[in-house]
Amino acid sequence: MSKLEHARNRTRIDRRSFLGTALAGGAAYVALARDMSAFAQAGGPIVIGHHCELTGGFASWGYWHNKCALAAAKVINEGGGIAGRKLELVTEDTESNPAAGARKLRSLIQRNGAAFVTGSVHSGIMLASIPVATELKTVYFSTGEATEATGEKGTRYSFRTGTDTYGLAAAGAPWAYQNLGKRWTIISPDYAWGHSHFKEHKAIIEKLGGKVNDPIFVPLDAKDLIPYLAKIPQDTEVLFSVFFGALSVAFYTQAKSMGLERTMKMYSVSGTIEAIAPADLKGAAEGVYIVENFPRMVKYKDDEFHRQFVKLIGTDDVHAREVGSERVNAKSHSWQSYENLFALKKAIEASGWKAKKDDQGVIEALEGLQMENSLGFPQGAKTLRKEDHSGIIDCYISRVQNDELHVIKKVSKEELVTHLPPRFDLSRQAV
Amino acid sequence: MSEYVFALAVNGLVWGLIIALIALGLSIIFGLLDIINVAHGDFFMLGTVGGLVVAVGTGSFWLALLVVPIVGLLLGAVIERLVIRPTLRQASLTIVTTFGLSIIVQEMVRATYGPQPRRMAAPIEGTVPVFGIDYEIYRIAAAAFAAVCLIVFFLFLNRTRLGTWIRAARHDPETATALGVPVTRVCAFTFALGTAMALLGGVIAAPITTVEFRTGVDILPFCFMAVIIGGLGNLQGTVAAAIMLAVLEGLMTSVLEPTSARILSLGFMCAVLLVRPHGLFAGATR
Repeated sequence: MSKLEHARNRTRIDRRSFLGTALAGGAAYVALARDMSAFAQAGGPIVIGHHCELTGGFASWGYWHNKCALAAAKVINEGGGIAGRKLELVTEDTESNPAAGARKLRSLIQRNGAAFVTGSVHSGIMLASIPVATELKTVYFSTGEATEATGEKGTRYSFRTGTDTYGLAAAGAPWAYQNLGKRWTIISPDYAWGHSHFKEHKAIIEKLGGKVNDPIFVPLDAKDLIPYLAKIPQDTEVLFSVFFGALSVAFYTQAKSMGLERTMKMYSVSGTIEAIAPADLKGAAEGVYIVENFPRMVKYKDDEFHRQFVKLIGTDDVHAREVGSERVNAKSHSWQSYENLFALKKAIEASGWKAKKDDQGVIEALEGLQMENSLGFPQGAKTLRKEDHSGIIDCYISRVQNDELHVIKKVSKEELVTHLPPRFDLSRQAV
Repeated sequence: MSEYVFALAVNGLVWGLIIALIALGLSIIFGLLDIINVAHGDFFMLGTVGGLVVAVGTGSFWLALLVVPIVGLLLGAVIERLVIRPTLRQASLTIVTTFGLSIIVQEMVRATYGPQPRRMAAPIEGTVPVFGIDYEIYRIAAAAFAAVCLIVFFLFLNRTRLGTWIRAARHDPETATALGVPVTRVCAFTFALGTAMALLGGVIAAPITTVEFRTGVDILPFCFMAVIIGGLGNLQGTVAAAIMLAVLEGLMTSVLEPTSARILSLGFMCAVLLVRPHGLFAGATR
């Protein structure tokens, strides 16, 4: 063998050595990156991601979720941060689109280094995000209502301080059955949120002895609802509507024009009138019953924390309308983006969390977390139930009267929990 | 069969006439300029928002019905000069251009007017019984007005000098230029006219539907379906297809799930494309 050939053989890399070197290099990189990340997080700011609908179909809600999260971060930082460390809130716009939302969640966690994420109110995005958060082993608070997020599709990493469709059905359906009527028809959008409401309400109404007609599902892109409203059976006593945004306005307007409220009681969940002032519907929502998570009018939870919260967010006491603009707070949902940061603060401080490796402690602290009525939790005292990671909260049944949402019954969290046994135990999953 | 099948057929006709007005705007823009205007739905949205702003500001819906299309005409002329003309006759490029325009229009409205959906009160209140349902009088008035607008448009196209120029420029722009027709200005006017028709449709539809920055997104596919089924650039065909589709979908919705009704509509469009690739009424194209 010539000297030249010998030198070539020494420098030639065969497939086995290439793979070995690449694997060793990759492992070293991952270990180094993990150490650097841990080092960076040990004393610096705590990065929390906010996964928010700033644009797209849910933009009218997202504006308020963003405002609430920013307000919470400000209050927390002015009060000394979390365990003495500054809270750095990083926001990504989900574009109200599940594919974009899942991509932005990865960006929040992997690019921005978010240790925890408080997330989407859009059920589709929320359900697309939980597998990503679980894969990346990151605690993810969702604010949407599809019950699957803390049910069959929930994981040890998914939490929700607000109610889901299961909770809203438990809060409102028994009362509505007793007081509004026993024969129900449900009209809702043809996607996860609406289907979930139908399933949960049907179960309760039928258990109570009522009758639920076939559901009427409306495509999300429908502009003219007359073909769907015409399908509502004439013997309906309670028309339960579940819509959001533009479809809500179309529903109330067109239902009113057909005079449906003359022959049946109109019952909805808060999402249907979220970020909308009844006055802006020109009387179309008058008389509608609505289950709320947080009373729109301050006087129905008249305490200093509620008043301070309203002042912080910058809305009026009656319509929750932004001072100086026409925007209306999506109040029954947006409070979660505020309170979730305080819940995380509480769990981080209780567990002594320092870096990502301590996440299990935060998860265990969140499971069963008790939150007292305070500036951090202005919606009221609540429990984050250990088994299904769901918030057990006070709910309110309100009615639109003279363009205002007046509470006619408070459903306390103690009363609510009697109708809401946990159906899943996420706390038994491994971290 | 649903007991409301006739009522839903009437409703489909009413809604179809309003959609026809919007789809016609899309069709003349394509027919003359070869522009696939993805922003057309957003012009419709501007009509709903502009209508509400003017109606609330002045207290008169009828003034909005007059002012907003005129604003649309001016807006269309400006957009044609700044955005469309540089990409004229390059159909694929116009998709990208108008898609960008669509995002800009939506986000401008969201940033200024806000993201919250609103309702515009109907200027005519009350209902009349139509085959078993209480039907809004305003819808009937809106459909009648849309029908009048369609008739006026076709009279304009066939009985005026400008209309003749538009038809000439559509048919053979080179010969029209040689005969002294100011084709560039005719193109600008046609785009402006199409835009104004979308805004007019928006004002008419605003009391029926919802006013918000994404209102146009959902209406665009339906308009495209009408244009495709009617025959690309075939104006009469577009009107007929819009009405036919709305009536069919209304009827199918009465007996089928909405998703199935939409699948059948799309299936119908696919069948038309397979059997008559130039549309159901292709004979009249250009």
